[in-house]
Amino acid sequence: MTLPFGNSLESLVTDALEGFARAHPDTVEHVREHGFLTARHSAPARRVGLVSGGGSGHEPLHVGFVGAGMLDAACPGRIFSSPHNRQVFEASRAVAREDGVVHLVKNYTGDRINFGIAAERLAHEQLPCSTVLIDDDVASDSAEIAAGRRGTGATVLVEKLLGAAADTGLGRQELAELGADLVGRSRTLSVASAAHTAPATGLPAFTLREDELEYGVGIHGERSGRTVQRGTADELVREMTETLVRALGLRRGASVVLLVNGLGAATRLELYAALRDVTRVLDAHGVATERALAGDYVTALDMRGFSVTLLEADGATLDLYDAPAHTPAWSR
Amino acid sequence: MDDSGSFAEQWMRRFAASVSATEPELTALDQEAGDGDFGTNLDAGLKAALSALEPAPAGGTAAGGLDAAGATGGGGSPGTAGGSGDAGSTGGARDAGEAREAREARDAGDAGDDVPALRAVATAFLDEVGGTSGPLFGLLLQDLAQAAEEAGHRLTVPALARGARAGLAAIQRVGEAVPGDKTLVDGLAPACEALASAEESVGPANALAVAADAAWQGVRSTADLRARRGRASYVGERASGVPDPGAVGIGLLFASAGGTVTSLAPYLEASGSGGGPGGG
Repeated sequence: MTLPFGNSLESLVTDALEGFARAHPDTVEHVREHGFLTARHSAPARRVGLVSGGGSGHEPLHVGFVGAGMLDAACPGRIFSSPHNRQVFEASRAVAREDGVVHLVKNYTGDRINFGIAAERLAHEQLPCSTVLIDDDVASDSAEIAAGRRGTGATVLVEKLLGAAADTGLGRQELAELGADLVGRSRTLSVASAAHTAPATGLPAFTLREDELEYGVGIHGERSGRTVQRGTADELVREMTETLVRALGLRRGASVVLLVNGLGAATRLELYAALRDVTRVLDAHGVATERALAGDYVTALDMRGFSVTLLEADGATLDLYDAPAHTPAWSR
Repeated sequence: MDDSGSFAEQWMRRFAASVSATEPELTALDQEAGDGDFGTNLDAGLKAALSALEPAPAGGTAAGGLDAAGATGGGGSPGTAGGSGDAGSTGGARDAGEAREAREARDAGDAGDDVPALRAVATAFLDEVGGTSGPLFGLLLQDLAQAAEEAGHRLTVPALARGARAGLAAIQRVGEAVPGDKTLVDGLAPACEALASAEESVGPANALAVAADAAWQGVRSTADLRARRGRASYVGERASGVPDPGAVGIGLLFASAGGTVTSLAPYLEASGSGGGPGGG
């Protein structure tokens, strides 16, 4: 086993899923036969089931956000691999409400295809399904990347906000439109000082010198960004924040939700310090940081790095953010 | 190969035999364009589907007598199952020209029912097969099953045309590929056109033969394309000169209606199989 604390690469995800269900028995149910988790409690007012999923290795995403006020089901694939369409299909059937389901899908080819196949199968069963595609990563925003921007840190915010909106009884179409709108108002940029351990080899997925950073790294270690010299932390955060402010076209007087997200092996101290630096840059731009959080939400195994996500927020968005949620990884 | 069972069941059994016979060739193609698991994936999916089929419409064995009595057929087809549980009806309808008569037979349990075999293979491809191409084949077969169900449980020529077109649309919605992207769409799209222009009176077997010719022509054209979608897109130029394995699978599917295909070579050479202008 190349990861020191797992029994085997084959069993790691299912072992962890079972452990996760044992740790949170009041919140989630583990449907072993099809390999997904469902929420034990979900608002009766919901008319649509919210289903997400994706490769494992990004914990607490997505399983940690199953529960009241967020996801109705999550389908974990193998490490960094899309879930099988069958998991998504069965999970969707399990949690569909009167107006069907909404799939929350990070923009990766495998995820899109497998969620897409599941959606076609649901259509054959007269189960309506809409999809919210999450593509917030600025580093992959290039005309040369046909697959488009990747889905990264904003995923957790979209899951939270759409969950709250679903709890108000919004229909599928309205949720899908709100989801697309939220994604359009979100951008993320990630940086790493050291790669994650590649599960297949037990070695770092890529190597950096001590004075280097991978700027614009993906949550699977994709190196489409650039390798830069490490400067001071506040210079780094300034560049990241200003890139995001530009990408979103934020003007003086705008408001944002800020997420400083650890990629697996960054310390909380560094994350909170980075959060402080981001807010200083936003202050200087006249952008109000209405809500902010720091922690590991969308990780890349044990990558030593962090991402910054900004989501432009109006009053209605903040109400959704503040709505109660009770899940293993989000309770406030 | 035994020739009992519905037209669709025989078709699927021959498709399985074709995939099994050509699996080494499929694998060799996929090793140049993809990751080499396409042939084995298809093979495994079909074997799983057909073994699931055996116990349900037990007609598998020759005599053909008391077939598939109950409405408990395979594949869990939703909705329409409940027909009149008239046991043992021996509908042998499977050949050209019998489409109209066939459509009248609405008994879900009868031996000529084309739906269970298609559903079983569709479900196996969707549920059990890894990778991308296998489940996409499942979408096509799911729509063929649906169209057959709507045509009185018979795979008539119009049902084939409708089902194939719906399957193509589903595959394109999911994979976002268009003709020319070097995917299975390059085999399926021309086959759909051929089916759409086939006369109902020629019967499903002849319509599928024409569709197969069109598909092979599309397959040959993919050899000169550079992949823009799917796995082969990652290897770029390296896969030029090699036809797309997914498209080859579509050719095999349609060609198998007329018999087991034992070698791909005649179909992949420009002048093969009554072959039209070929792809150059």
